[in-house]
Amino acid sequence: MLSMVLQHIPSWIILVQALLLLIIPLLLLKLTRWLRKALNGRHSARSDMRSAAETEKKSGKDSTHTAFKLTGQYASEVTLIREHTSRNTDVKIREFTIKGTQTRVAVLTIDGLCDNDIIDTHLITPLMLRGVPESEADGFAQSSHSINSYLKTRLLPVTDIAETQTLGDLVQSVLFGTTGLLVEGMEGAFLLFSAGGKSRSLEEPLSEALLRGPRVGFTERLADNTGLLRLHGKNESLSLTRHQVGTRVKKDLVIAYMKDIADDGLVQEVTQRIQRMDIDDPLESGYVEQLIEDNILSPFQQVHNTERPDRVIGALLEGRVAILLDGTPFALIVPVTFSMLLQSPEDYYERWISGSFVRLLRMLAAMLALLAPALYVSFISFHPGLIPTRLALSIIETRQGVPFPALLEVLIMEIAIEILREAGIRLPKPIGPAMGIVGGLIIGDAAVNAGIVSPFLVIVVAVTAISSFTIPSYSAGISLRFLRFIGMFCAAFLGLFGVVMFFLFLCSHIVKLRSFGVPYASPLVPYRFSDWKDLFMRFPLQVMKERPQMIKTKDSDRKK
Amino acid sequence: MSRSSDQITTAQAAVIIINYMLGAGILTLPRTAVTASNSPDVWISVLLSSLLILLAGFVIVKLCRRFPGQTWFQFVPQITGKAIAFLISLITIGYLLTISAFELRVMAEVTGMFLLEGTPMWAIVMTFMWVGLYLTTGGIGSIARLFEIILPITLVIFIITFSLSSGLFEINNLRPVLGSGVIPVLLGMRSTTLAFAGFEIMLIIMAFMSSPQKGMKAVTWGTIVPTFVYLVALVMTIGGLSLGGVKVATWPSLDLIRSFEIQGLIFERFESLLLVIWIMQIFSTFTITHYAASLGWSQLFDKNIRPFLFMMLPVIFLIAVIPKNISELFMLGQIVGNVSVYLFGTLPFFLLIISKIRRKGETSN
Repeated sequence: MLSMVLQHIPSWIILVQALLLLIIPLLLLKLTRWLRKALNGRHSARSDMRSAAETEKKSGKDSTHTAFKLTGQYASEVTLIREHTSRNTDVKIREFTIKGTQTRVAVLTIDGLCDNDIIDTHLITPLMLRGVPESEADGFAQSSHSINSYLKTRLLPVTDIAETQTLGDLVQSVLFGTTGLLVEGMEGAFLLFSAGGKSRSLEEPLSEALLRGPRVGFTERLADNTGLLRLHGKNESLSLTRHQVGTRVKKDLVIAYMKDIADDGLVQEVTQRIQRMDIDDPLESGYVEQLIEDNILSPFQQVHNTERPDRVIGALLEGRVAILLDGTPFALIVPVTFSMLLQSPEDYYERWISGSFVRLLRMLAAMLALLAPALYVSFISFHPGLIPTRLALSIIETRQGVPFPALLEVLIMEIAIEILREAGIRLPKPIGPAMGIVGGLIIGDAAVNAGIVSPFLVIVVAVTAISSFTIPSYSAGISLRFLRFIGMFCAAFLGLFGVVMFFLFLCSHIVKLRSFGVPYASPLVPYRFSDWKDLFMRFPLQVMKERPQMIKTKDSDRKK
Repeated sequence: MSRSSDQITTAQAAVIIINYMLGAGILTLPRTAVTASNSPDVWISVLLSSLLILLAGFVIVKLCRRFPGQTWFQFVPQITGKAIAFLISLITIGYLLTISAFELRVMAEVTGMFLLEGTPMWAIVMTFMWVGLYLTTGGIGSIARLFEIILPITLVIFIITFSLSSGLFEINNLRPVLGSGVIPVLLGMRSTTLAFAGFEIMLIIMAFMSSPQKGMKAVTWGTIVPTFVYLVALVMTIGGLSLGGVKVATWPSLDLIRSFEIQGLIFERFESLLLVIWIMQIFSTFTITHYAASLGWSQLFDKNIRPFLFMMLPVIFLIAVIPKNISELFMLGQIVGNVSVYLFGTLPFFLLIISKIRRKGETSN
């Protein structure tokens, strides 16, 4: 009995393996924790520093001229303003006298942001040419208040009119593009016309082309974009709440949602995360996306981006929340689920049979794009016995001259094609396709002839590349491209077993991931059959009467 | 939010049971059943066993309903007192760890034999365990969601591969029905009942169910699907390989799938597909037992589960390498199966009676 027990005591090498088994994941855990902490730590440290700096700035502020009250001392105030804006050569000051009075005024504009035509016709013309009739001149100059009210009611035919009392405010607003009007003898100053500036016209979105569907994409101007959402249709429940982000460069950001559909908790969570952001200038909505996402270490995007207003509206109607940032045509949609990345608005615009077919095709393509090279490597280098004999023979025949192991062979081709693709994007439009042809056809053919790769592999790589183009969202496509390489390495080390492990690992990651509280894998799992109407198949619209349950909408009925 | 994410739906509970039951059994059941009964009537044994399991499951659900929101490790002390409960919990944890290790080793053996000849076992096992660990750190909710992804894939591929083998099927291999009486059927039940080990997970996951009153529904579905899978595997394997052929094969189902080729399809042989889904099934059994054992430790000592998840890895590995060869491995499986019958077939029944007598827990209904 004892000898039997002794026989089964593991050898030291097994014990070492057991130890490794424990230690390596512990080290990995430590590493990820440290990474996360380092990222978060920097964030909080920065916000501490910022608040300290802010208080300092505030205390220093009072001593300068920025809080200087505008009292109507025209000459001295104009001098002060000139002093303040001496470093900004694009600030223009136009001085003249209101007709019929002795009151001097100064119009403050900035180049490029103010519309000179409108200023000429609506501001300067009435003041300089019409002015105050003689009979009313006395009443006009009586007091600061009378000047103010006379100008507002009789002389400024402008919708957008505001007032400010301090010099700092005035200068700041002028620098941001508002037109300032300083009047002798009047307290404060007028701020007229909202900031303008050039914007491009509405164009078809480049990154998400559709054959059928609206040809309109967002532009760089926030007002245009929110306008596009409003323009979509008369809808009282669309809420657009405005926030300011950026510590140095202030930018407007709009959170859009349907107030009687979207879950309040979700809206609150989004708002909180937006307000917690700490960055000097969010250049693009990608900055916002990365600062509010749940898991920084995940290869999958947890915030969806789109240029299409119809897509945003569709998401809002499902109870999601959209984030629009000034200065970028890309709107963000949260929460996002994995299934969303493979869906295109066209699925809904086409009839349901063709829509479903295309959607299934796309899922197949995504699988191919992710796993095809990995399967090739595992079958060629580990299990040639598992492919049909004749196919195996023909593949082996073509591979005869290839001097590399399967992994290296695939890597050469895959990396080549990734480089080609990246180069194609950067090139000017007329050259791009030509480059693709040169790269894809000629290099592929030459590589086969030179015996570096086998023709079968060229087929695999080409099919993979084309499959990855079917994924409607560019960001999701990048994720899959990246994961494909990991899959290939798994296959190279552990064959088919490695591919299965890779798949399980990916699934484990997806089921653990959440985007704003919604499981990333939903609605596939947990099983919600009512949501499956819009998952693999796109059921007829008559059947899809309810909003997705996974987003916990306030109003689940689509009919209302 | 973290609280609600740890809740599982009724469907998820059923899926967990199914995935737990389906493990090494798919490949070995035909041989163990046929060896035990020596007659082709084992499919009747499977049906009878499933009824037995339903009964045992019913008892477990009844017991758990008296202690809503509590797992086996938490409510047993209230019934038996601390000392005995501690012992029972230890045995349960040991049982779960051994199952985990058993499945791990079987997986390593089969993978080493059919997919990765020459690859050292530690490489296979470590990858497998680390991926499992990554999943289990996500909690029961993540485990349930992954199982829900795995199960449909398993069932579809399983049905495809086995229906393709219908060309080999010989109905005469299954005849005569009840040719040698009822005794072989009962003998066969000894091994078929073991294949259903896994329903005991209800003792633990009932606590996480969002609607525990539907526990019986989960058990019923959790038993019907494996019964169907085992029936198909048994009938097709015996029908295809004949009684004698099944007895000499180590992995009869795999041999069945290996023994035919279909021309004109992309694949001519389907064992790779069967192995893929089978690895996934082993993965699910491994992860849920690993998780349940760690949960046992954490509830026994009232600590966070995470350190235990990590610490159980080397323990499972060491148990897995104990058997020297495949026959010892199968012996281990036999022992674990027998323990499961006593531990979860009869003990819950006595505990239910005791708790009724001592008026512990809530009286449901």
